[in-house]
Amino acid sequence: MYVKKTTIINKSGLHARPASDFVALAKQFKSKIKIKNLHSLEDGAQNGKSIISVLSLAMGQGTPVEISAVGEDEQPAVDALITLIDSGFNE
Amino acid sequence: MDLKGLAVSPGIAIGKVYIFHPFTPTIINEHIDPHRTQTTLKQYANAKKTAAAELTALIQKMAAEDEDKAKIFKAHRDILEDEALDEEICNLIESDYYNASWAVETVFKKYMDILNKKTDALLRERIADMRDVQNRLLRNIDGIKEQTLAALKYPSIIVTGDLLPSDTATMDRANVLGILTEMGGATSHSAILARNYEIPAVLGVENVTKRVRNGQTIILDALQGRVIADPDKTMLQEYQERHRQYIEEATAAKQYLNREAVTADGIRIMINLNITSDRKEDLAFSKYSDGVGLFRTEFLYMQQEELPSEDQQFMIYRHVLEEFNGRWVTLRTMDIGGDKPLKCMDLPHEDNPFLGNRAVRLCFSQPQVFLTQLKAALRAAYYGNLEIMFPMISSMDDIRKAKAYLEEAKQELDFCRIPYGKNYKVGIMIETPAIAMIADKVVKEVDFASIGTNDLCQYLLAVDRLNPKVSQYYQSFHPSMFRLISFVASEFNKAGKELSVCGEMGGDPKAACVLIGMDIKKLSMNGSSMAAVKRIIHGISIKKMQEILREIYSYSTAEEIEDCLNDRLAMMI
Repeated sequence: MYVKKTTIINKSGLHARPASDFVALAKQFKSKIKIKNLHSLEDGAQNGKSIISVLSLAMGQGTPVEISAVGEDEQPAVDALITLIDSGFNE
Repeated sequence: MDLKGLAVSPGIAIGKVYIFHPFTPTIINEHIDPHRTQTTLKQYANAKKTAAAELTALIQKMAAEDEDKAKIFKAHRDILEDEALDEEICNLIESDYYNASWAVETVFKKYMDILNKKTDALLRERIADMRDVQNRLLRNIDGIKEQTLAALKYPSIIVTGDLLPSDTATMDRANVLGILTEMGGATSHSAILARNYEIPAVLGVENVTKRVRNGQTIILDALQGRVIADPDKTMLQEYQERHRQYIEEATAAKQYLNREAVTADGIRIMINLNITSDRKEDLAFSKYSDGVGLFRTEFLYMQQEELPSEDQQFMIYRHVLEEFNGRWVTLRTMDIGGDKPLKCMDLPHEDNPFLGNRAVRLCFSQPQVFLTQLKAALRAAYYGNLEIMFPMISSMDDIRKAKAYLEEAKQELDFCRIPYGKNYKVGIMIETPAIAMIADKVVKEVDFASIGTNDLCQYLLAVDRLNPKVSQYYQSFHPSMFRLISFVASEFNKAGKELSVCGEMGGDPKAACVLIGMDIKKLSMNGSSMAAVKRIIHGISIKKMQEILREIYSYSTAEEIEDCLNDRLAMMI
């Protein structure tokens, strides 16, 4: 398992198009990917390849988030997703 | 059978009903035979494939025409391909022997319930998207083709619950005689579309899809807002004659469309346009108008995921000002409230949204949103002649507060050295009885005002104008309306300040005569109302209009007033 943390910086948070871009990228990797909203741990780790699951975490700008992956490409997967979030989704 | 509704696009249609039914799924909670799991999984997978293909086709079609619609369908495709949903649906089929439809419904419901418990307004909107995708999947599992209005078998009057942009995008216009729906109001998508295409339309007829049959002949009277099912021979003949007359008059009126409105005794009346967005179809009648009397800005906030930025707004306002090339454009700051959920703003539920935190009151409670709009408007003012108008004003405090925010917006622009127009005008909507009754005080602190007769009538008569159950109490020709408008007109005339009417009354030829008789020289209306109004103005003198007005003051009911107007103006219409 490979884990990394970061913070959502784009204005609209992980909603709509950003969430769509996140899931599209996650689906490109073979590993199982999980995403956790560190501000509401009770929601648990959600499937990063499921748009509904990602959206249901309701992560707005400033939310700390944890991405984890298990599988043969777990490290590139997590790194790519963290980079995408840190880029602010080009907003 | 005689039904009533809101006539939103004038005309008469006589023809056969075509009931446009959105698909309604029927789920049977029956388990499948254990060795049919592979077949059922395949059935689900195939349905998913066809659904995805439908969405891709829609996305491609919309990408060229409407970016926003394309986005919606892209989001639907994402949901369709959701991994968690897919996993659980397949699980229910394989391990618990659910049939495909039942599995889909169960899993979608589970996730919709999860979203429903969240307080984030944006998330709750996703529920509607999920329902749409669920229906698309279920319809494909049943092997039913998507019903479209793209190819109608015969010229029809479309009868349906509500018309969505996705329905009308591919509508076979040549065969649409009329539109009749259960939902929708005068500024809804259906209404704008119908007016632009000159299709007679009546909206808000409760349960109409259950009260008429496919192929049934009906008369759609979109002048009175009436639907007559199975008319007898006499009725048919009467309406065929009325239809003929209407077409004749509409054609005759069209010649006036391109002319300025001048009364028989040479007084010029300004005829302005009400617009609902800056889109091309909304500006269709711009060349026939003297300006924009009401630029509704709600479209910037409705159906949008995010609040419109200052730059986005600035570009849109500038576009309209440039389109009107020096003619005055009256921009109304956002008039939104708790009656319609917004994706971009959290509007808490109110029991009485039309009396609640809406329009300028909402703006006062969300200063950032208000200032953004004001700054965008000020910047755009540089490119034309702009009037900024505040809605839902009920006191002098509201006027002063709104103007203070305008000053603050200017200061912010000055601080950032951003240029803006300096010769704009500031005014208000007169739509609350309270502000109308102190018109003498109002007139000292505004440059202009516009009477929103729809809301004024609603608040004055205490009637919900969108509630079909009390439609007989919504009387725009009520004597109190004329008394109140008269008072406002006389105060504005005394002070030499401009007053206009932008509600529906302004676009009604008979009412227009009365308003002009009160010395109101500016009327703003839908494009489709202009020809008839210009025509009637040409045929009558101000003196005559003032005579009619005096007679109206003697009546005590709306019916008497309407009869009087019908008698006196019959020859002109």
